[in-house]
Amino acid sequence: MTVDAVYLLQLTLNGITLGLLYALIAVGLSLIFGVMEIINFAHGELLMLGAFAMVFALPVMGLLYWPAMAVAILATMFAGLLIYDVLLARLKTDEFERSILITLGLSIIIIHTMQYIFTATPRLVDTQYGFDGVDIGSIRITWTRVIGAGAALVAFGGLYAVLRYTQFGRAMRAIAQNREAALMVGIRPRVVARNAVVLAAGLCGLAGAAISPIQLVTPYMGQFLIFKAFALVIIGGLGNIPGAIVAAVALGLIENWIGGFFEIAWQEAAVFVIMIVVLFLRPDGLFKRGGMRVG
Amino acid sequence: MKLVVALAAALLLAALPLLTTSNYIMGVGISALIFTVAAAALNLIYGYTGLLSFAQLAFWGIGGYATALTVVTFGGTFWWGLVWAALINAVVALVVGYPTLRTNRHAFVIVTLTFSLLATLIARDWVDLTRGALGIPNLPRPTAFGFEFGTTGRFYWVAWAFSVAMLAFLYALCTSRIGRTLIAIKQNEPLVRAQGISPMPYKLASFALSAAITGAAGGVYCFHLGIIDPLFLDFYYMQTFLIIVIIGGTGSFWGVVVAGVALSALPEVLRFSADFRMIIYGLILVVAMFVMPSGVAGWLRERRRGRRRGGAQ
Repeated sequence: MTVDAVYLLQLTLNGITLGLLYALIAVGLSLIFGVMEIINFAHGELLMLGAFAMVFALPVMGLLYWPAMAVAILATMFAGLLIYDVLLARLKTDEFERSILITLGLSIIIIHTMQYIFTATPRLVDTQYGFDGVDIGSIRITWTRVIGAGAALVAFGGLYAVLRYTQFGRAMRAIAQNREAALMVGIRPRVVARNAVVLAAGLCGLAGAAISPIQLVTPYMGQFLIFKAFALVIIGGLGNIPGAIVAAVALGLIENWIGGFFEIAWQEAAVFVIMIVVLFLRPDGLFKRGGMRVG
Repeated sequence: MKLVVALAAALLLAALPLLTTSNYIMGVGISALIFTVAAAALNLIYGYTGLLSFAQLAFWGIGGYATALTVVTFGGTFWWGLVWAALINAVVALVVGYPTLRTNRHAFVIVTLTFSLLATLIARDWVDLTRGALGIPNLPRPTAFGFEFGTTGRFYWVAWAFSVAMLAFLYALCTSRIGRTLIAIKQNEPLVRAQGISPMPYKLASFALSAAITGAAGGVYCFHLGIIDPLFLDFYYMQTFLIIVIIGGTGSFWGVVVAGVALSALPEVLRFSADFRMIIYGLILVVAMFVMPSGVAGWLRERRRGRRRGGAQ
């Protein structure tokens, strides 16, 4: 097999974009796990809600990309707040299985309500950028992909700054590192948990909004993405944010390379095989967890 | 007493094809029997051993495909198909379970979940083996010693015999010393270690057994449907098993069996649209987790305990 350099570069660039979007989802899951030690099964549905918000906001905004994205993020943050206050706030920290089952029920309710109202017909999102792109030599990347990747990078920068330099973020790290000690210095776990869920939901909304012009929007889109995000969280180490980002970008690349040269079944299986191998070699994930680290 | 009631109920269920000629009712009966077995297998790993496994869906699908492919592609019999389904699943469970169980129960939940979603994608995308979205239609009815289980009524006996055998096996297992060890692992693993018992072989064995039984159940069920396609790995099945176990009561053998038979009729009663039914399932799951986390069996146990305490005063 001769490897065409241009083709390879194209796959690589697509892989990085996709990986950054995976990372947005995985980081939210990791953040919630770090603070509450639960897994939010309905996380993929938040992404789907973000994408649907984009679908409906864009025509209203006259196809303007950024305001529609802001609407999507705000909508998912609100959904996250609602989920926390109605369901997650009732959980105790050691109720891992219960959290999964409750958010699983929620995810089913959201998927099928959306499908009932909006049908399962895939929707195509059109933005002000249409299908225009940048050309680098003979490689072409659509603007929506470039912007999606850029927005993800900005979001990670922002997240780093928040977790590192603000009281709001320090409280989250404190809870993740040592719950008792954090309680002793007067940090309220419920407030911090709510902040973490809303923040994670916002990141997920951003991912949904960024992905909607790239992929078709259906009520099931969250499920296909979330299962990769779960695997990434395990590969990177549960609750480890930089680990999740590195694992996500790596997976995006590997998937695109495999998808470019082998059958599609291998592309889907890659994430699982990697996860099992990582668990064999390093049971705590590639990047061992020591509290929630940001740098 | 419980065993006498169970035996009577089993014999009564066996007589169903004699009581009705309706293929619809017998179809519901087959679903009830098979779902109960799959839920009881989930109860073994989740209710007894305390490991929430979402891989049951994958095992169900792998079992279905293994049985169908044995018959259609490799020209074996239905019975050998079931044996292969059980064996393949047991091996897969060991391969997936060993690295995962070394970590913690959080990782186990997520890995099994990912595994199930992966199985769905493989069923759809590995077209050479599974024939992709078209599936394998026209699965032949099984035969034994020249007797063809050709009608729904006759196939019902196959499902009945299979379920009774599997449930009897699970009952014997769960009430034995092994079953008590599994409960101990769920309740206090350090204590089990302190007693000189290594939890790992028990966890692996219960995972592999529950995988094998779920796989064989999937094999029987897909021959009831007569077709297998990627929809056989719809999350709906996993949810049904979970709801049966949760409503019945995790770790309660009879609770799950009764809930299995009762709740399998529920989708038939709730014949709205598929979406609406799923929404109701989701609501049941969320509400049950808050209102009675230990199921009906747990709720009854609490009440009995409360009354005894009340009587003593």
